[in-house]
Amino acid sequence: MQRVKNIDYDEDDVYSEEEEYHEEPSYTDEDRESFTALTPVVRAELQESGLQASDKEIEEALWHYYWHVGKSVAYLKNSRTPRPQQPQQGKKDKEKPKSKFDQAAEESAKKAGCMIPFPSTASDWFQGISWSVIPLGIQGELVPAFAAYPRPQLLGGSSKLAKLAEERRKKAAASQAAPAAPSGALGSLDRLSKSKDVKENVLPPTMPEPRKYPIRQKREPTPPPKEPSPEPEEATEDLPDLRASPTEFAKTMATHAAPSQVAEAAETHMDSIFRSSSNEDPFKGPSPDDTVMRAQWHSKGINKHARKPSDGLLIKKTEALKLEPKIKSKGLDVPKLWAEGRASRKSAAAFVVIGHVDHGKSTLMGRLLLDTGAVAQRDIDKYAALLIPHTFVSMLINARRYQKQATELNKSSFALAWVMDTGSEERERGITVDIAQHPFSTLTTDFTVLDAPGHRDFVPNMLAGASMADLAVLVVDANQLESGMKGQTREHILLAKACGLERVVVAVNKLDATTPTAWDENTFQSVRSGVQKLLTSVGFQDPNISFVPCSGLSGTNVVNPAPSTGPTAWVASTSGTILQQLESSPPTSPPEELVKAPLRLQITDVFRGSITNPISVSGRLAAGNVQIGDTVLTQPSGEKAIVKGIEISAEPREWAVAGELVTLHLSDIDPVHLRAGDVLCSVDKPVAIVRNFVAQVTAMEALLPQGVDVHVGRLHVPGSVAALISTVDANGEVVRKKPRVVKGGDTANVKVSLQEGAPLAVGDRIILRSGGSTIAAGQVDRTGS
Amino acid sequence: MRLIKQNIEHKDGSGTATLLPEEPEDMWHAYNLIRPNDLLRASAMRKIITESGAGSRSVERVHTTLTIRVTKLDFDPQASQLHVSGRVAEENKHVKLGGYHTLDLELQRNFTLEKNEGWDSVAIDTLKEAVSQDAKAQLWAIVMQEGLANICLITEHQTILRQRVEVSLPKKRAGSTDHDKALQKFFQTTFDSVLRQIDLANPKPLLLASPGFTASSFQQFIKTQAATGANKQLQQFLPKIIVAHSASAHLHSLSEVLSSQAVTSKLSDTKFARETQLMERFFELMRNDDARAWYGPKECEAAVERGAVGKGGGVLLISNALFRSQNIATRQRWVKLVDEVKEQGGEVRVLSSMHESGKRLEGLGGIAAILTFPIEDLNDGDDEGGIEDDVFANGDGDDHVNGFEGRREHYEDIEI
Repeated sequence: MQRVKNIDYDEDDVYSEEEEYHEEPSYTDEDRESFTALTPVVRAELQESGLQASDKEIEEALWHYYWHVGKSVAYLKNSRTPRPQQPQQGKKDKEKPKSKFDQAAEESAKKAGCMIPFPSTASDWFQGISWSVIPLGIQGELVPAFAAYPRPQLLGGSSKLAKLAEERRKKAAASQAAPAAPSGALGSLDRLSKSKDVKENVLPPTMPEPRKYPIRQKREPTPPPKEPSPEPEEATEDLPDLRASPTEFAKTMATHAAPSQVAEAAETHMDSIFRSSSNEDPFKGPSPDDTVMRAQWHSKGINKHARKPSDGLLIKKTEALKLEPKIKSKGLDVPKLWAEGRASRKSAAAFVVIGHVDHGKSTLMGRLLLDTGAVAQRDIDKYAALLIPHTFVSMLINARRYQKQATELNKSSFALAWVMDTGSEERERGITVDIAQHPFSTLTTDFTVLDAPGHRDFVPNMLAGASMADLAVLVVDANQLESGMKGQTREHILLAKACGLERVVVAVNKLDATTPTAWDENTFQSVRSGVQKLLTSVGFQDPNISFVPCSGLSGTNVVNPAPSTGPTAWVASTSGTILQQLESSPPTSPPEELVKAPLRLQITDVFRGSITNPISVSGRLAAGNVQIGDTVLTQPSGEKAIVKGIEISAEPREWAVAGELVTLHLSDIDPVHLRAGDVLCSVDKPVAIVRNFVAQVTAMEALLPQGVDVHVGRLHVPGSVAALISTVDANGEVVRKKPRVVKGGDTANVKVSLQEGAPLAVGDRIILRSGGSTIAAGQVDRTGS
Repeated sequence: MRLIKQNIEHKDGSGTATLLPEEPEDMWHAYNLIRPNDLLRASAMRKIITESGAGSRSVERVHTTLTIRVTKLDFDPQASQLHVSGRVAEENKHVKLGGYHTLDLELQRNFTLEKNEGWDSVAIDTLKEAVSQDAKAQLWAIVMQEGLANICLITEHQTILRQRVEVSLPKKRAGSTDHDKALQKFFQTTFDSVLRQIDLANPKPLLLASPGFTASSFQQFIKTQAATGANKQLQQFLPKIIVAHSASAHLHSLSEVLSSQAVTSKLSDTKFARETQLMERFFELMRNDDARAWYGPKECEAAVERGAVGKGGGVLLISNALFRSQNIATRQRWVKLVDEVKEQGGEVRVLSSMHESGKRLEGLGGIAAILTFPIEDLNDGDDEGGIEDDVFANGDGDDHVNGFEGRREHYEDIEI
């Protein structure tokens, strides 16, 4: 065998020899036990063929062959045969032209060496491969052919395991100072008979000839069928036979289709393999590959039925596996799980931060996250360092912020805001453009901050945030109440109410900068009364409104209470810190019906979650529940997708229910079918696509039949008020049919037409805007086609 | 459009006009001029199939001039093509009388039009407008927001959406530059689309409008492209770019953009400026619930009847879609109304239904009036009733081009 190896020496072999790790097999106790049991068996075998071997050699052989007696014996016998060439002669040794006889001999020896003369081994490798049951009709007529050259080894020889074992064997042989003297008893003719045991096949196989050997050897006629050999072990001493042994491949092929007498013999092999009754079976346990596969299988949470390694039905199983979908639902009863875990779960709440532009929303939230530990001081310092002077100056020119000099104070304000303002444009211009989402936890509650932009141009984005929130934090600059009241403080309050928010915490910000003195209580009180009036007029209930004096920049009364002495002494008498107020806002748990309802999720963002999750969507589960493996429908595209993974606050989850802000990793869908504003829904009860609907809206400005932007959460589509149907009073009674105009403050039923269909359902909260201002808000009353 | 020849009798409106369309916009005028039942004579390409005595067929395409009685018009605003179908009214050697033919009006080819009902005042006004040789203002506009851009060509009479670019942009996300990358890609796509549309050799001004900074960022992007590329024409194009503010990227935001000071000063389109101004005034009155502003066919007719749209500030705003009615009686109704207002000394503005102000007017039923004195109860006694039941009838909402007739006539219950 070694000799044969030589022929093939090439650079690769040399290389691998150099790289080979020199690891002596270290035996475990279990190994030793096997040795004691098996060594005598092997010795007996060897003695039968007139060979001697030391214990160490036998042990080594056994270890390398995984305690397979037959293979070990074969190996030992081989190692005792004369080797005309030493491996170290290297590749430079050119082979002398060989006689036909020699070639055939090599061929046979190689076969015997490389493919251990047990059909079982190869069959083992092929087990579970379904092409072993090829019907007779389509089998080719197999006739033996003698290759002039060493044949490329098919499958068995090229398996990594076999290679590894071979390398080890070679190592072991080379490391033995004096190779065991070849016993003269065995001549080359003997070696040629190695494959005798496998030639019981009726159809001696052919190897697929590589194309580079165009000249085929003359074919021999099909040899007559041989008598089945008694036992593989007895193959050692037998008549020389120059015929090439069938390949392992062909053996497996023939196993099922062979005529009866052969089948019988084959059966015994297969039985012994599959049943693994014999403790000789080297592949008794799961192979390393299997182990890895199974581990992966489990980790993906895909397969509930663990594969049993030595099951006779492996083929069946393989087929069954192919049919399984890539991601399988565990079929959890999510509402039940949710109801069970309700008591033990921490409450969760999402709040949207609203207010006029430049009133310090982002800075306040940066402060909140910093003081609750969700963001490290290190990050803030890093941002501050990033605020290089020229950007900073340009920011001041560009925009806005405070009208003071570029002081250190401003700088830290920006640094705090940068926690939320992660977009490059936002940072460059010092203005929030889109919703920023950031989770943080206190002892009692898991919060999600939704930092909304205050600028009027980005009200659509603010709406997306407000539609995902449970409560609102309204930030009001104590020094600039007026600008806000005319601007987005007012509009945001209206929109928050229109989005269905009931609870609002008013953070009266920048109290450290009040004039004439900082922390002026009168300023706070006047702001309070002004905002309270507005909130009440919009429809917020008094118990749901709380006012907190604070300073986002200094962090006073945000998370940490204000000092009880000095100018802030009065603060303690108010309603505590912002964080306390947030925690005291009871997060409402969704009713059970909502959890059991059909799935509805408005996509607020479509993005690439990671390399492994190329399509992810995020949004708030408006209704229903979802679990990994669920198939969902996206509307209006009508495409189906499979939920591959679920994340909540960057934590992987098995399922999610209504009210939670989730990230869903999807598969089996093209991202062109997903847009922000689309709705993910259950396949059974999809949300309808609507082009016309009647809504009951409250006008904020005069409402005429006109073109409008229709907003539903993140959805932002062009449409028009097609008709004013009627104005109604507070009790829903029709005041006037077909009014020519709906005045600001009036409630009316209007018909809205959309340019393109949008996924809408009765009860959805819609907001109509035109020319950059909100003109009406309300709910869908009826939907048409 | 050039008027080649006309022999219109002003007394009864009989006679013909021969016109030569010179630019795509002229097709729009032709579309507004030609009505069903009119006689149209134009050059045509006709496929003639002749069968010889032996039974072999030969197909021949011949150029001929056909006169047809119009049955249907089909205007394609994107391509500015007008297809006029009708039945042949004058036999020639190729075509029999009564055969069907669809004429595709072509640029630089004369056509002759004879009105079945005679040339009425509105038709003559349309004709005058069509042949006026005033410099025609044209403008490219892109209304955009992150992920959406509408590229339109604004002419004197039309706003043509030439291309819509819609890209799904991932939102900002801490530690990810996907948003910026996608935004750059969106700009690139939009820029490429614009280059395909705009003729840089003879560029019209380009108006960029968006909420926030998208438009100025895109302007910056074009500047960068011009600076890095070797496109000389693009560099010369840069000064023609105007940045303005719009509330959203949707087309109806254009009216806001076009009425803004920055744009009107550059556009110098007096007709459009005046129309926009009137629309603004009308909406302002409506907002204040001033009884001097009324909209809707019946209300306006009633107001005109009472002589409220006359001298001293009375204005009738009417969309030209109303005159395109297939129904002759409907058209005559509106023509009569227009004539009456003119008689009373009021101002009549026929707004193009393809233009922004016209589209706003369409939302109001295609007709609106500013009265000289308030009338409170114009729509009293107008209880057609049951509007609750018919809100979804005929409800495509955006199908404005084909007029309003019958818009509120056929109602049916909807199932919800």
